[in-house]
Amino acid sequence: MSSGTVAPGSVVGKPPGRRLAAMREGGLQALPFLAPALVLVFFFLIIPVIWTVLLSVNKTRGLNFGTEWIGLDNYERLLTRDSRFLDRDEWPWTGALINNIRWLIVYPILCLFLGLLTAVLATRVRYEAAFKAIIFVPMAISATAVGVIWLLVYSPDPNIGVLNATITGLGGDPVSWLGRGDTANYAIILAYVWASTGFVMVVLSAALKGISQEVIEAARTDGATEWDIFRRIQFPLLSLPIAVVSVWMIINVIKVFDVVYIMTKGGPGGATRVIAYSYYVETFENGLGGYGAAVAMVMLALIIPVMIWQIRRFRSEAVVS
Amino acid sequence: MIRKYALSFGALVLALSLAIAAAACGGSDESKSEAGTGTVSVLSLWGGGEQEAFQKVLTAFTAKTGIKTKYESARDFLPVVRSRLAAGNPPMVAIIPRPGIVADLAKEGSLISLDDLGLDADKINENYGEAWTNLTTVDGTTYGVVAKANSKSVVWYRPDDSKVKPVASFDELKTMTTSLTSDPMKPWALGAKDSWTLTDWFENIYARTAGVEKYNQLFSGELDFTDQSVKDALTQMTGLLNNDSVSGGIDGALGTDFVGGIGKVFSTNPTAHLYMEGGFVGGIALADVNPDLEPGKTIDFFPFPTIDQAQGNPLVGGGDVTAAFVNNEDVAKLIEYLASPEAGAIWVSTGAIVSPNKGVQAAAYPNELVKKEAAQVAGATAFVFDGSDLLPGALGEDWGTLLQNVIKDPSSMDSQLSQFQQQAQDAFGG
Repeated sequence: MSSGTVAPGSVVGKPPGRRLAAMREGGLQALPFLAPALVLVFFFLIIPVIWTVLLSVNKTRGLNFGTEWIGLDNYERLLTRDSRFLDRDEWPWTGALINNIRWLIVYPILCLFLGLLTAVLATRVRYEAAFKAIIFVPMAISATAVGVIWLLVYSPDPNIGVLNATITGLGGDPVSWLGRGDTANYAIILAYVWASTGFVMVVLSAALKGISQEVIEAARTDGATEWDIFRRIQFPLLSLPIAVVSVWMIINVIKVFDVVYIMTKGGPGGATRVIAYSYYVETFENGLGGYGAAVAMVMLALIIPVMIWQIRRFRSEAVVS
Repeated sequence: MIRKYALSFGALVLALSLAIAAAACGGSDESKSEAGTGTVSVLSLWGGGEQEAFQKVLTAFTAKTGIKTKYESARDFLPVVRSRLAAGNPPMVAIIPRPGIVADLAKEGSLISLDDLGLDADKINENYGEAWTNLTTVDGTTYGVVAKANSKSVVWYRPDDSKVKPVASFDELKTMTTSLTSDPMKPWALGAKDSWTLTDWFENIYARTAGVEKYNQLFSGELDFTDQSVKDALTQMTGLLNNDSVSGGIDGALGTDFVGGIGKVFSTNPTAHLYMEGGFVGGIALADVNPDLEPGKTIDFFPFPTIDQAQGNPLVGGGDVTAAFVNNEDVAKLIEYLASPEAGAIWVSTGAIVSPNKGVQAAAYPNELVKKEAAQVAGATAFVFDGSDLLPGALGEDWGTLLQNVIKDPSSMDSQLSQFQQQAQDAFGG
């Protein structure tokens, strides 16, 4: 830590001892004020999780508890014998779990790339506000609407689908984006990226604005190119907002359901199934509450490490504004 | 100071948990028939035109008995029913689109049998053929009545299209298909995104090649899906429906839903000649896709052709079952009314349905297309119910998914079927 002024937007660590002491002093007095929230968390978060765990180790009738304890049978079936969830018979593996991993890789990278690109470029144009508004508008649309819009865009009928109308207009053959197993996943991911890039852009744009102009001017007078400024000043200072937004996106990806349900219902041939979709099918259409609960627990198991990482980051750092 | 707060907080939490536990333990109680509340709630998945038609029947019921009805519509029918059952708040009457679900719910004890409602099951069942009463009877007890029926052995075409004409045999259909593959408009429209359209194709072919008995064995879990008869039927299916004969290719078909498929033949920009789907296509085509169509002139159908003369022309049909979740007098009266020829006549006069009720006269049907369908349903020499609707749980959807994979890649047939057979064993056994 240097003496003198610290550039705004930078990340500063606090000595851990002082913070814990501060917590102990004022914390317990705050308990009665926290009580209502704690009660809500207890009944709407902790108890349902325990309930779900219990459901997943029992043989259920519909959504009600059965009387048979079957231990980890549901999990064993889910991870070894359910080919729609995870199919390890041939390489590359397929299944809902693998699709979520696909989402995990493609979606955050695309969103970050586009969000960062638009945020950085927007600061350099005069029509910045209009530009950002247009990019942000898809965030205001519900995921269902996003699904329906892109369903129509991807339609294999050139009379309906904008994409295929363009392709046939240029002389090509229409492509069934959602009908082909190899393109369907990426088509859906693209639709979701379109809907979420605005959020990433807005967060990163705000963080960018928090970087002092003096630092950038100083760099310019020292002869740094725009690319140097981006790479060595702006990007490192954005690491915390990027981390925060990444966590948001990762959790979104693990939970994604609505666009998949609307656009392909897990098809064609089960190629676009995701974990949340499996959960829905097993619980409501198959009527196997216990099995569905096992899927939900797998989802929870995937999210918990991400949450732990995020909480650790928040605890050890703080942003000085 | 801390202890005081901790104690009261702890007491509050304890009290609330006990209250919740008590509420959760209050399960369902199956009481005998009791007096109703004056209103019966009915749940089904119909919306739009179908809902309006059914509402007429409900209005007539209220006029006759004074009991009010409340109709609720839920497109995602099964999830809604399961959630409401779990909440202890099921609809009083539900019109269930799949007999497979009726059997599941009856076995779980969620449905009230006709006898428990105080109705004479035998007398009611007299109005229906055996094929229909089989759907509502589980282990000898009848749990409901078949509300409406439709034929799924139907090929739609435009009579003003000179390149196609009704044919009676599958070979003729294949010849007609091949002669049109070089036409700019492909022979077949296929709404394969809605995988149940593929299951209807398979069922029609299978019933006509393997016969009614094997069909019923297959869809009740007695015959393995890896049987050679299944593979033969699939080979016939992929022979007829492939990249050359389907509008948009197989990939395009997998991206088209069933209404889109109707549009490919009957919209103002047709791209295909023929569409195989149920009798309900007529209603949807006229109401939603292209209101300018004229039955008989620009929209008509012919029955699905025979394949193996020995197996004849069994009708693959679908239907919905009315069943009761709650036991009271009003519900019993509604079920009795819906099973009567009177209700059937009102309902068919709207042109929305074909009634399986023997008491409904042919003259009650309003337009040519529905009359033709009713005649097909009534005059069927052999009848089988839509197979994928007979399968338990989500197995029907999984079957549809398998068919999507097979028409895309017919060589994967064997591995897909053996995988599916395992799932089927789990589902039928469990």
